[in-house]
Amino acid sequence: MENAIEARALTKHYGDVIAVDGVRLNVPKGEFFGLLGPNGAGKTTTIRILTGLTKPTSGTAKIHGLDCVRDSLAVKQRIGVVSEVSNLYNEMSAWDNLMFIGELYGVDKPTRIDRANRLLEAFQLFERRKERLGHYSKGMKRRVRIAAALLHRPEVLFLDEPTSGLDVQSSRLIRSLVREFNREGVTVFLTTHYIEEADQLCDQVAIIRDGKIVAEGSPEKLKSSLEREPIIEIVFDRDAPDLERQLLGEPSVKEIRKEAHRYQIRTTDSSTAITDVARFASSSGLQILSINTKQPSLEDVFLKHTGLDAVQVERMELLRTRRAGGQRG
Amino acid sequence: MVNVGDILSGRLARPVLDFLTKGACIAKKDAKVYYFKPQIFGFGILIPAFVYLAFSLGREIPPGLLVPGLVSMVSLFGASSVEAISIAMEKQTETYELLQTAPVSTAGIVFGKSLAGSAFGIVLSLCTALGAVLLSQSQMASPIMFVTGIVLGSFAFSSLGILVAAAARDMPTANISLTALRLPMIFIGGVFIPVGTLAPGLRLIAYLTPLTYMVDALREAMAGPSVALAVDLAVLAGWFVILEALAVVVLNRRTQL
Repeated sequence: MENAIEARALTKHYGDVIAVDGVRLNVPKGEFFGLLGPNGAGKTTTIRILTGLTKPTSGTAKIHGLDCVRDSLAVKQRIGVVSEVSNLYNEMSAWDNLMFIGELYGVDKPTRIDRANRLLEAFQLFERRKERLGHYSKGMKRRVRIAAALLHRPEVLFLDEPTSGLDVQSSRLIRSLVREFNREGVTVFLTTHYIEEADQLCDQVAIIRDGKIVAEGSPEKLKSSLEREPIIEIVFDRDAPDLERQLLGEPSVKEIRKEAHRYQIRTTDSSTAITDVARFASSSGLQILSINTKQPSLEDVFLKHTGLDAVQVERMELLRTRRAGGQRG
Repeated sequence: MVNVGDILSGRLARPVLDFLTKGACIAKKDAKVYYFKPQIFGFGILIPAFVYLAFSLGREIPPGLLVPGLVSMVSLFGASSVEAISIAMEKQTETYELLQTAPVSTAGIVFGKSLAGSAFGIVLSLCTALGAVLLSQSQMASPIMFVTGIVLGSFAFSSLGILVAAAARDMPTANISLTALRLPMIFIGGVFIPVGTLAPGLRLIAYLTPLTYMVDALREAMAGPSVALAVDLAVLAGWFVILEALAVVVLNRRTQL
């Protein structure tokens, strides 16, 4: 299948700091692709190079065979970009913003009116289209921003953290509509720190760490790569502080983590580990409320390759957003 | 490489038309978004009005000096303020990134912005000129050349505003830097004092600023067409091209990180 996005040995230096380090990407046409990584891993720099906002220090990036540096205007005509900040004009209405973007992309007036009507209907904003964007909520602004990115019918849509910090309703609507546009043939390149979101939406994902791609493949393939290490999840009737001390020495137990009231045991042999847990519960006078073997999630894959779990990533994103201050909306 | 064959065969017509229509589209948007910002009223209208009143009240200024000086100063402040504020705000709110991801070159963005800034300066200057000419009952030998001077000067000043804001880190820095450039310009550029009466060193600096050529062009246009007028207009056009090119380079350096 022909690639919509191709990157070869893509590298970007900021002084001594290497933000992107020899990244290689192949995203086939029509695919929903996710780039995952913790804050500062190189996601945004990669997306900035692919969208022509930043020139790479070395390496090449192509969109539909067009070089992102040499043919940047032709590339920009074929892509839609939604940055993490809803960067439209708060002084203008949603309608005027869409008309401006349409004109800037060379969409003729009758077509842009027709498409703007449809997109605003789909994003449930039609009734409030004449209101200034400054009066919109964060979720509504993000919906207008995505609508604006789709107005010229791009072949590739870049979404940088599209649901970050949004309410559940807006996030759900955005996910479902983006999925629908993808089904209609738009290639989607998503960066997100919501690992579950990537798991739900993406056909392929890549995990980036310190500017390097450390894992890639379909979420199922990546998860199955961890299947040799099953996880048992147990809930006792009360806290079990001795669990780690008593079981970590057992050959079947590799790692024990506590998450809220649940204990997760990474094991080499689940049936032996279950027997060990049952023996521990009986000797400690604990009652097992539930026990099940847990299939590895994309978060586990992420954890393995980055050393960070979803909560830590979320906390990092929150700190970063706070630091960015009031500009975001 | 652009060659005559391309121009004659019309192969360049489409990109040129594209450049102009996208520039006009950005200019329309800037007019909607920025013309009515309070900062524009403050930096573009109030400051020049106060400066002019402070230096002209109680002094006998002949109409031949008053009209060109006042109109040039209004053009300088009006045209440069709109785009200095627009570029600084767009960088701050990241809407500049929206323009960068669209299929329009940095030169196209700068051209669109200079159209919006110069249009503001032209309208403001024309209104000022009309009022000043009527009140002072001045003679206007060549109104077309006078308007041409206003147009070219406003384009040059608009590009100056873009260049300063492109180099500045944020809006306060852009406004302070621009004011620090504009105030000395009006004192040595022939607005209040004829350039010929300045000390040789200051006169040399005066000839390095675009305002001097606009004041002189308007003065010459009021007196009648001359070689000096043609030179002034050519220099203003040159300033526009140079400032526009510098603005493109600086914006690219500052934003394509």
